[in-house]
Amino acid sequence: MTEILLGQHWFFWMTLVPLGAAVVAFLIPQQARWIGLATALLLPFFALAAIAATLTAEVQPITGGGWPTPLGIELRRDGLALVMLTVTAVVGFIISCYALGYFPARGHHSSRARYFWPLWLFLWGSCNALFVSGDLFNLYVTLELVTLASVSLIALEGGKAALTAALRYLFIGLFGSLAYLLGVGIFYGAYATVDLALLGDIITGTSLDHAAMALMVAGLVLKSALFPLHFWLPQAHAMAPAPVSAVLSALVIKCSYVILLRLWFEVFVSLDTVAVGHLLGLLGSVAIIWGSLLALRQERLKLLIAYSTVAQIGYLFLVFPLARNETMATAWVGGVLLMMTHACGKAAMFMVAGTIHHTAGSDRISRLAGAGGPIGVLVVVFTLAATTIIGLPPSGGFFSKWLFINAALVTGQWWYLPIILSGTLLAAGYVAKVLGWAFLDVKRSSYPVIPWVMKWPPLVLSVIALLFGLIAYEPVQIALLGAPVSGPIFMEAGP
Amino acid sequence: MIDLVLAFDLILMTTLISLAWLLLASRDLFRAVVLFIAFGLLLALAWTRLGAVDVALAEAAIGAGITGTLLLVGLGKLGSAERCRRTPRPTTFLQRLTPAVLIGIIIPSVTIILLLELRQLQIVSSGQQGLVLSLLDISGTDHPVTAVLLNFRAWDTLLEKGVLLLALVSIWSLDQARPLFHQEAPSPVLKGLSQLYLPILVIVSGALLWQGGYAPGGAFQAGALLSAGILLAILGGRSLLPAWYGMPLRLLAGCGLLIFILIAAATLLAGNLPLQYPQELAGALILLIEIVATVSIAVILAAAVAGGHPAEISATEQQQPPSSEGTS
Repeated sequence: MTEILLGQHWFFWMTLVPLGAAVVAFLIPQQARWIGLATALLLPFFALAAIAATLTAEVQPITGGGWPTPLGIELRRDGLALVMLTVTAVVGFIISCYALGYFPARGHHSSRARYFWPLWLFLWGSCNALFVSGDLFNLYVTLELVTLASVSLIALEGGKAALTAALRYLFIGLFGSLAYLLGVGIFYGAYATVDLALLGDIITGTSLDHAAMALMVAGLVLKSALFPLHFWLPQAHAMAPAPVSAVLSALVIKCSYVILLRLWFEVFVSLDTVAVGHLLGLLGSVAIIWGSLLALRQERLKLLIAYSTVAQIGYLFLVFPLARNETMATAWVGGVLLMMTHACGKAAMFMVAGTIHHTAGSDRISRLAGAGGPIGVLVVVFTLAATTIIGLPPSGGFFSKWLFINAALVTGQWWYLPIILSGTLLAAGYVAKVLGWAFLDVKRSSYPVIPWVMKWPPLVLSVIALLFGLIAYEPVQIALLGAPVSGPIFMEAGP
Repeated sequence: MIDLVLAFDLILMTTLISLAWLLLASRDLFRAVVLFIAFGLLLALAWTRLGAVDVALAEAAIGAGITGTLLLVGLGKLGSAERCRRTPRPTTFLQRLTPAVLIGIIIPSVTIILLLELRQLQIVSSGQQGLVLSLLDISGTDHPVTAVLLNFRAWDTLLEKGVLLLALVSIWSLDQARPLFHQEAPSPVLKGLSQLYLPILVIVSGALLWQGGYAPGGAFQAGALLSAGILLAILGGRSLLPAWYGMPLRLLAGCGLLIFILIAAATLLAGNLPLQYPQELAGALILLIEIVATVSIAVILAAAVAGGHPAEISATEQQQPPSSEGTS
């Protein structure tokens, strides 16, 4: 029995099941919520099975249809795919529970619920397909699926502002994908393959390769919303329905970043990436400061969280300048850890913001006055989730920043230290701003009843984000399976 | 002779570029759409000059035909809203600067750098042709493009079927479909034309589908033609029975992806790699996927032109007794 279970291609089932469920949810809209919930319940177990299968047996690369690689599509079963699938499964499960309460079956918004489930399941399946893909063109197809599903999910909110944000997101997404595709076309023309591993081996480093790299990096950076290409993110993330905001900030942003991570450490290795790395590091640093400052200035809770995402994306891009020869593994692990912990923390924050909006009737931060009383539990959940955004120990955010600082010291790039530290201070500032309002002593008369699925599931993610640092060893070991980086992980380096 | 061909290519290229410029610069949206359709047809011609007949067929049917129809229908719906344009919002200096910098500096310089770099490109002219041809006889089809799309890189095609269905779900999530045409009775000419053309289009799309087994053709092209037939029938005043608006329509739209997913799941359950068909069944499975996909694509494209979810769907289902939802 165990052999049959371990022999299954769980990685692949994790794409097929959500996609199939999306079609079924589209066919039978009356049962869409239960189909969605059943899928959300299944996927964490699939992720566990995938981890068990990977840890017990030597994992060989496989291709779609079993055709040899330049022809077939390589499907990755490495550590990066594994941790991203697992994080997506956990966060996706919680978001699905929350969405059950957010999109009630009856009421005047029931038509939104009808389409939320197929779109969300499509998005889930496409994210999973993206994480396991090792083929430049297949990555493009999955990226398009992710973009299209995200756009429709934002538009579900209805109304002029949400539709405008969705349309802008669509144009940005298409522009980014096209720039990426142009790069893929150049690589295919020059080397007759779109397989990541093969391309990494035969790439020679002509100036044409560098042009292709520039196009792909630019496209992916636009989709990851790195400063100054972040302009579309706050509106798109803040206008969407709360579960959708959580999905967008926690998972969708990470999709293009995962592609960039794979390309950078596998395909672009023999290219001259130092200057590009410094540029990305510079933009990341500006993003940290700029995003945090703007978050501090926001009057609306969802916009504050969205700008905080802009800042956190800045940290993710510090990986590229910090990953030099000896610190390769340190910076890479820092980036992967940050992706995982930010996914948990930010999803919880957006869900809490949605519940507060639902309860207080507005997500203006000033309307939070006195929220510390009856709906205090929400503020607690928010704060716990925010620890990882600030980077307080023992959260995962703390450990990834610690790794970045170590990598910066070992490579002598000390100027990233003040950036990381001031980013932390500013983050503490905007979280304190929310808390300050919430604990004002204001008497409030009435509160609407909140369904419990909108109250408690986010707490799970908050606790995971908070305690991630304590259990970080195992996820890091799993992430490093078949990773393109090797070397020591600096935990306490001196200058 | 060579010179004639070269002259033809040059004329084609200049026409394409100037058409693209004209349609982008056009202030009249209707004119732009017409130019877009012309552009798509000429682009199809360019694909045939490059020897990619499959792409040419798809470009003509989907790029020019269906997309053109979609744009025209969209234009019709825009109608009055377009005429009473809003006065432009006051903009900040930065907002005014951005398009200027983009159009004036960034896009031209990127284009020039790319063109300069592309001169160095030494295209591996055969690509993966040798490999594809050497494996063709165990792929279950005799046409290399079909072999790549439905066997060697079938995983891509499955996801692309997903894109199509997702697009329809997105359209349906936005709004309810409104009647395309306002006139009471379609003109007798249209009626007669649709009666004349419908059978021909069905037969030709069937032929295109079958042809995909050994020559350029296949599900996408056949589906696009079939959807043209459906649209012609709608123009001729026919409409779907209201009973078909619910589950049957959704099933027709979803079956293309569903059957593909089921086959992928079956290959996994049989202990194979994902989408690794048993060799003796490969031909039959590919044909099955293609036939179902053709119907599905035709329905999705036609429904996309209709724009929005069918009206009856919500009406009938809200009237249902809440027995199924009573548990929730």
